[in-house]
Amino acid sequence: MLALQILIDGFAISSLYALGATGFTLIFGVSGVLNLSHGAIMVVAAVIAWWVAGTFGAGPYLGALAGVAASLACAFFTYRVIVRPIQNSPSIPREEKEIFVLTGTLLWGIMLQEAVAYLFTNNPKTVRPLVEGVVMILGVRTPLNEILTAVLSWAAIGLLYLLVNRTRTGKSLLAASMNPRGLTLLGFELSRIYVLVWAIYGVLAGIAGVLLGAFLGVSSDNAGTLTASAFSIVVLGGLGSVSGSLMAAYVVGYLETMTAYLISPSIRTVPVLLLLVAVVYVRPQGLLGRR
Amino acid sequence: MFRSRTFQIVVPALVVMALLPLGVSGYILGLLTLAYYYAVFAMSWDLLFGFAGEVNFGPSFLIGVGAYTAALLNHYWLWPIPPCLAAGAVAAVVAGAVLAVPALRLTGPYFGLVTLVAVLLLQNVLVLFAGITGGEIGLDLPDVLSIDDNTNYYYALSFMTVSGAILYGLSRSPVGLILQASGQDAIEAAALGFNVAKHKLAAFCISAFFSGLAGAMLIFYLGTASVGTVVDIAVGVNVIIAAVLGGRRTIIGAAVGSIFLIAAGEVLRPLGQLSTFVVSAVALIVILFFPGGFMGRLLQAGGRE
Amino acid sequence: MRISHSIALLSGVFGFALAAPAAHAADPIKIGVIAETSAISGVGIPNGAKMAAEEINKAGGINGRMIEIVDYDDHNSASDAVRAFQRAAQQDKVAAVIASYISEVVLALEPWAGRLKMPMITPGAASNEITKRVHDDYDHMKYVFHGYLASTQIADVVCEASKTLMVNDLHMKTAVVMSEDAAWTIPLDEEYLKCLPAGGLKVVDHIRLSPDTTDFTPIFNKVEGEKPDVIVTGISHVGVQPTVQWQQQQVPMPMYGVSSQATNSTFWKDTNGAADGVIFNMVSAPDVAVTPKTIPFAKTYQAKYGNLPGYAAYTSYDDVYMWAEAIRKAGSTDPDKIVEAMEKTDHVGTIGRIAFLPKGDTFAHGMRIGEGYITGLMVQWQKGNPVTVWPANVATGKMIFPAFTKLPQ
Repeated sequence: MLALQILIDGFAISSLYALGATGFTLIFGVSGVLNLSHGAIMVVAAVIAWWVAGTFGAGPYLGALAGVAASLACAFFTYRVIVRPIQNSPSIPREEKEIFVLTGTLLWGIMLQEAVAYLFTNNPKTVRPLVEGVVMILGVRTPLNEILTAVLSWAAIGLLYLLVNRTRTGKSLLAASMNPRGLTLLGFELSRIYVLVWAIYGVLAGIAGVLLGAFLGVSSDNAGTLTASAFSIVVLGGLGSVSGSLMAAYVVGYLETMTAYLISPSIRTVPVLLLLVAVVYVRPQGLLGRR
Repeated sequence: MFRSRTFQIVVPALVVMALLPLGVSGYILGLLTLAYYYAVFAMSWDLLFGFAGEVNFGPSFLIGVGAYTAALLNHYWLWPIPPCLAAGAVAAVVAGAVLAVPALRLTGPYFGLVTLVAVLLLQNVLVLFAGITGGEIGLDLPDVLSIDDNTNYYYALSFMTVSGAILYGLSRSPVGLILQASGQDAIEAAALGFNVAKHKLAAFCISAFFSGLAGAMLIFYLGTASVGTVVDIAVGVNVIIAAVLGGRRTIIGAAVGSIFLIAAGEVLRPLGQLSTFVVSAVALIVILFFPGGFMGRLLQAGGRE
Repeated sequence: MRISHSIALLSGVFGFALAAPAAHAADPIKIGVIAETSAISGVGIPNGAKMAAEEINKAGGINGRMIEIVDYDDHNSASDAVRAFQRAAQQDKVAAVIASYISEVVLALEPWAGRLKMPMITPGAASNEITKRVHDDYDHMKYVFHGYLASTQIADVVCEASKTLMVNDLHMKTAVVMSEDAAWTIPLDEEYLKCLPAGGLKVVDHIRLSPDTTDFTPIFNKVEGEKPDVIVTGISHVGVQPTVQWQQQQVPMPMYGVSSQATNSTFWKDTNGAADGVIFNMVSAPDVAVTPKTIPFAKTYQAKYGNLPGYAAYTSYDDVYMWAEAIRKAGSTDPDKIVEAMEKTDHVGTIGRIAFLPKGDTFAHGMRIGEGYITGLMVQWQKGNPVTVWPANVATGKMIFPAFTKLPQ
């Protein structure tokens, strides 16, 4: 019974982690950018969804749509106004681009977080779930929303898989992550691929944010934690490896859930942090990373 | 060196700062006292980043270890302040070395992540052992440096000046140049026969020493040590912003950035909650348009040293 | 009672109202107010204080001298608060200070009150440590008063109410204590574990959760497996999230106890109504005539500032009256005389009749609680409104629970 409970609860939270980390790792894989405003963008998506659905009485579907749209807008802004200018700037030495992108996106994340706190206070908010009620799965009472969260997360990841592996545009994405220079030689415009990646990222982060808001609730104060958790999962899985991130998301999700059930909820995140340090020291390329 | 532009800028500035208590209210002095301690945090960070090329996301790990070591010794064993400060600095160096020895094998984001995780672990430990550490509400200290504004101000100013001079001197010394070379191209530096790892470890320990000492000084100024004042990620984020804003790889710039952040926060106070937003926006604009930061700009304007 | 979240960024530091301290013929008596003014509940502290000062001044001030409130924004940070306190004492020369609802901040200020001999009261922090220090080192710490309930006292109120609400009315026998792992809940839980069984609720488990928790599913499942009749809470850093997940998972036992976020007037909206049925502790509510002063205060406050007062606004308003009275009795602003007069306080304020415990008491300079003094309230969210359900003499309704709650037969 307990095992089953851990299995079900761990699955939902892990799926959500996986979705949140997928976009993050995709951007790193294709353009080498670690986007530290990630958590703040998820928060924006959730809070906008809450606001549109609740205050305007637009209902959960329109709300969710608005949340994803907001996230998309933020992602574009992050790329066009912060990441691209830094990458193209002649006055920043090449080996320092990375720290500038990190600092720039970090500052942008703080701005988003503060803007949300200013406009909507930092009280946690919950997005009204698309479905309410519970079902019994082999004796474990499970909220329908929890199941929906897992299903939608996997649907989004599945669509991404189809896009990357089955379409021409998608394949160019994959190629860009392997050899950007080769791709430009073949006549592809790299900047268009980057825009596409950021658009995909915006949608994924938006869905993840809205689902998170509906499943667990979210506050502007969570932005940093969300970024750190995506960062950890992605490093654990191997930077840039989508399948590695998916696997790592499940490792993290289940480890946290098991700690909470079997040891104590007060040290929930500690084993993950220790595992992370161990993996980084022993196998810095992560579970499935290439070097 | 005495002719260098940096020198020409810094010395008059220090003179003005030393004379401030004659004409400025205690409130402004209090403001600057805090800014000077932050300046040491930021300068230590710059030594590691600007010269060794390592992005330490967890300056507050080193600050926190130094601060809490000193706080625990003072709170439970009533050690006088000087040995507490020394113990805090030593503890930060030890913790820094334990972290750095394996971590320096890593590069870029991996190193960054490990330093970030170190902060999170420290924070968890402090909260889990709330019975001893006071948890999130902190630990009060029986002793403080002084209750007089002017005295506190001069403590902070002299501490910043001495630390700054040492860190700056170090960065301009042969060791600093080797660090810089290994930060930019570790392989080439190693090929030239320099022990890159050893130099980086040294840089990390020096950075840890000053961070830990400054953290310990700060809590004896405030009379309290809490997660929010010396460990929180937000503290580290401010240190990084200050250093990059002031101009990385200049040491002095980090101090300028810290003082600017504090002053900006005060000027923007009427905006209330939005002040953080505006400060971040200003910092972002500086990074996008003047990547050299304040000092980079200033020093460049007058040509190279 | 709220604990400090990640502190205000360094940049957000230093807010001081630059009240120009011009010297007048009859110098005003200044009272310093240190609080986080960008938060809805924090800004209530200076707002409440200013209302009281205006009323006192209208009635002639303190022996003809006006009261002036000097307010300082501490951005919820201990370091900012310490500096504000130093400035208040040394530069602005205030006679007394009203400071913060955050234990971290108040505990950081407390030694400074002793060092600078500056009378101080907190309108909202809950740590037991505040009064313990006064008790342990009276000569140095006597300048500090605790204008809010200590964690242990809050637990006592919750237990007292549980005798009627849970044991008597609902025939409950068992409880699980669920608290966040934080310094303020250590004495709270200690007292819960003693006083709940004494009142008839056997504690079958005691769960402490990380304040960073976002997924409460495992915790609720564990609780449910132990089949208690009620979950007794001690939460402040978390609130919206456990409440929503409690409702989504349809956890069949009521949540009852301390839940600081539930005291916000926006709690219903933030949880999309998942708060329905949650019972939480407060000292005063806008619709309850705890004393004849409560409702008029809440009404005037709302008219003046546009929203209902948070819990610290009530206490801060009362605190100004008590300082004024103490200064009047002392006949000067000498700190030792003010403290001596303050110790004799017997004031009917908005939260009840306030008297301070003597120096020999464990809660030296804490408020006296119980029948005839401060009793506290238990309030339940019902269909979008907070309804007071205890004590019976001021209750505005009966307990109602959502359909998924299974009460003992």
